[in-house]
Amino acid sequence: MNELAEFNSLNPKQLEALDKAAGWSLNAAELAEVQRQFRKTDRQPTRGELETIAQTWSEHCKHKTFSGPVAYRDGPRTKKYKNLFKETIVKATKTLNRSWCLSVFKDNAGIVEFGKDGKWGLAFKAETHNHPCAVEPYGGAETGVGGVIRDILGVGLGAKPVLNTDTLCFGRLDRKYRLPKNALGPERVMRGVVEGVRDYGNRIGIPTAAGGIYFDDGYLLNPLVYVGCAGLIPVDKIKKSVVPGDLIVSIGGRTGRDGIHGATFSSANIEEETGSSAVQIGHAVNEKKALDVLMRARDLGLYNAVTDCGAGGFSSAIGELGSETGARVRLEKALLKDTRIEPWEIWVSESQERMILSVPKSKLKRLAALLGAENCEYCVLGEFPGDGRLLVTHGDALVVDVPMAFLHGGVPNLEKPAVKRSVKVSGKTPVAPKDFGKALEALLAHPNVCSRHSIITQYDHEVQGGTVGKPLQGRFGDGPGDAAVIWPQTATLDLKDYSGFAVGHGFAPAVGRLDPYQMALHSIDEAVRNLLAAGADVSRVAILDNFCAASPRDPEVMGDLVQAAEGCLDAALAYGAPFISGKDSFYNQSRDADGKEYPIPLSLLISATAPVEDVRRTVTINFKEAGNPVYLAGVSLRGMGGSVYNELADTGNNAVAGLDMKAAVKLYAALARAMKAGCVAAAHDVSQGGLAVTLAEMAFSGGLGAELDLSAAVREKGLTVTELLFGESPARLVLEVTKERETEFLKIVKGLPAAEIGYVKEEPELSAAEGGGQLFSACIEKLKTCWKKELI
Amino acid sequence: MIIEIRTREKYSENEETGFIGRMAHAGLKVKAARLSRLYRVEADFGRAEFDRLGAELLTDPVTETYSLGRPKAGIKGWRVEVWLKDSVTDVVGESVKGVISDVLGKEPKTVRFGRAYYVACDSELKLKRAVAGTLVNETVNKFGIEKI
Repeated sequence: MNELAEFNSLNPKQLEALDKAAGWSLNAAELAEVQRQFRKTDRQPTRGELETIAQTWSEHCKHKTFSGPVAYRDGPRTKKYKNLFKETIVKATKTLNRSWCLSVFKDNAGIVEFGKDGKWGLAFKAETHNHPCAVEPYGGAETGVGGVIRDILGVGLGAKPVLNTDTLCFGRLDRKYRLPKNALGPERVMRGVVEGVRDYGNRIGIPTAAGGIYFDDGYLLNPLVYVGCAGLIPVDKIKKSVVPGDLIVSIGGRTGRDGIHGATFSSANIEEETGSSAVQIGHAVNEKKALDVLMRARDLGLYNAVTDCGAGGFSSAIGELGSETGARVRLEKALLKDTRIEPWEIWVSESQERMILSVPKSKLKRLAALLGAENCEYCVLGEFPGDGRLLVTHGDALVVDVPMAFLHGGVPNLEKPAVKRSVKVSGKTPVAPKDFGKALEALLAHPNVCSRHSIITQYDHEVQGGTVGKPLQGRFGDGPGDAAVIWPQTATLDLKDYSGFAVGHGFAPAVGRLDPYQMALHSIDEAVRNLLAAGADVSRVAILDNFCAASPRDPEVMGDLVQAAEGCLDAALAYGAPFISGKDSFYNQSRDADGKEYPIPLSLLISATAPVEDVRRTVTINFKEAGNPVYLAGVSLRGMGGSVYNELADTGNNAVAGLDMKAAVKLYAALARAMKAGCVAAAHDVSQGGLAVTLAEMAFSGGLGAELDLSAAVREKGLTVTELLFGESPARLVLEVTKERETEFLKIVKGLPAAEIGYVKEEPELSAAEGGGQLFSACIEKLKTCWKKELI
Repeated sequence: MIIEIRTREKYSENEETGFIGRMAHAGLKVKAARLSRLYRVEADFGRAEFDRLGAELLTDPVTETYSLGRPKAGIKGWRVEVWLKDSVTDVVGESVKGVISDVLGKEPKTVRFGRAYYVACDSELKLKRAVAGTLVNETVNKFGIEKI
């Protein structure tokens, strides 16, 4: 690349061409800033320096869009943000200032207190791996899982992973599309992603026990793959600091040419020619070796700091660890998969399963012995000198020599325009189906409602023996669980302590198309409700935000993001649930063969966790005993906007039900007390498909029917039967209350919107009436057959 | 040497049905199919050593059989072979390479993992299309089809 020799004198057009050829995804202002920096030093940059800057300043590493300044226009009003992320997500956490938040927004994952004795922290993180999965679904998903596990291994001095999560979004499988050359169809993508999640999680021995799958045309060319991991860490191992003089030690996998430019790839839309260089290949067994070494070395105090090699490879990991001390790196020491690799490629390669440790010289021998015992390869790449300078060489050749201050603080951040999108909303009376029973059957078979058993059963959700709240529940082990409940005894090694934690999710992109602010509220509410339904302590909820969006160059996309971020702030404050970590992914937008744009809808995944005091009291969704009363808690509101039913039949109503957060929090606190008192035999949130689907799932999961009269259900004035049965207004749960404790239950929920709507019965029939008129009566086996179709 | 592993016929119905279903979804009517795993082991081993790898390491003797080289197809039609491209890291191959070294006390040069599909269908062109659309991702895979 000859232009490099004249970099400092290139004009903007030439810079742009060079950027495109090199695949850096730097914008004009960033390229100009780099040029300015090197003109000051009176020398041309090396390829390694430019690669390092591109990685460090990439969307993936710096989150420039969310952390940057935004001017948001809503009609005549303009609101300015200096840093959207800090003024919304971080602000919520700072305002709440929870003492049980042990580490937030400063490490590879968030950490909250876990258990009774204050000895443990629970680390939790979710990531996206969208672009790699669009190109190579299997490898992309594998390395996504491997990467987020390494985030947990690299938080503090290392946490032991005890749970994997996966939430996946694909194009509809039941539609015909004309795809561009090289694009993979949604079924091919789904199959590959599922196999990747399965193989990595199963091979490394971490249960994959929570998540979901969502289908929408918007994800046709840009599938979303959210992967998460939770792990336990001793509280005294949370703090880490690189000590000047420490050695830089890389353990785990070798370095190869795979995955060059993964980080900068995330700053670009996927184009037809996107090639295999961005593909990464996972090796779960290598990561397991690194995991085993790390846990032992951590407890023996053999290193002062650790982080994972993720996007950007050594460049990002060593740059991050040495951001204050500087780093002196000798790349010729790196263990390589392939000798045909340029020095700068070693520096930025995203080869997987590598962790970087900061090791005192005196402890290297003991660490090496542990690594040898686990057959885990390592190399000493250099040291952290304490002079604040990043100096990378390969033999006599200079690869990088830049001040850390420029690398981490030099990125120019331009204000992005954002504008509120106008959406036509109709609140007219929704058209009712001719047959409520048939509509229920169709809803149960809808891809966004039907069973995920053919995917879930491929994952090992039992490994480690601590999955108490399972993804498939009920009498036959095939009902849809609301949240995973984990008893992490493999980490605590205390079989007498039944403390656990629950993990649930909230995801409502269909609502986001109409109202991004309400989408954030609904998503947080759904995640909290899922935790509540499993019996978790919802006064101690911690949440992660994972935003995925189309190109932020579109002011309307930015407008949606601003509204959703404001929703996150408001909901987090109302629910008392701080954000502890998060990530964002932009540029999820592509064209099909006809030139039609496929931007994804703004997609916010809320992952939430809360403690479960005693995992033996975990609540599941299935009806348990004939004769028990069934209650609907929460107010059913008007509006079919964002509902699955509206996809099946256009009701003419697309109004989104607004969430009353204050009322929801009050209701959930009472329900949590009722659950703790043992009043609740089963609980299930009302979400996709609405109340009728919730009731059907509880019935067929328990193999019991129910006789229901919905007349008593608490509702907004003017609510229609269609809205009651199939609307998806938030903050509602169905509860099966234990007959013997019904009086106690009623005392607890007195004055709150919780109404008895029927009872569980032995006969396998789900019947619902309203005001004397029968709405539907259906055999639960038939309903289950509609629901239980094979996705794969 | 390619060691080919097959599920015994009495246990293979599930995988074959699944495969036929996937092909049908891709627009190809398959009358019958057999599936294999392939391990290409490049090493200066004797036949007895390859036999040992097939029998003791790579095959579940209850449900599977192995052959050095190609087994009898048992199907009239086409044989599809799918491999990762040589430039793509093959983690299964790497793991098997390590285990072979443990079992035999000597390390092969390389091990690559692949799959073979024996397919009875009417059209090679349609088969090619279905394979490209379902079984391979040409970013990382290479494949070949031959008449059997």
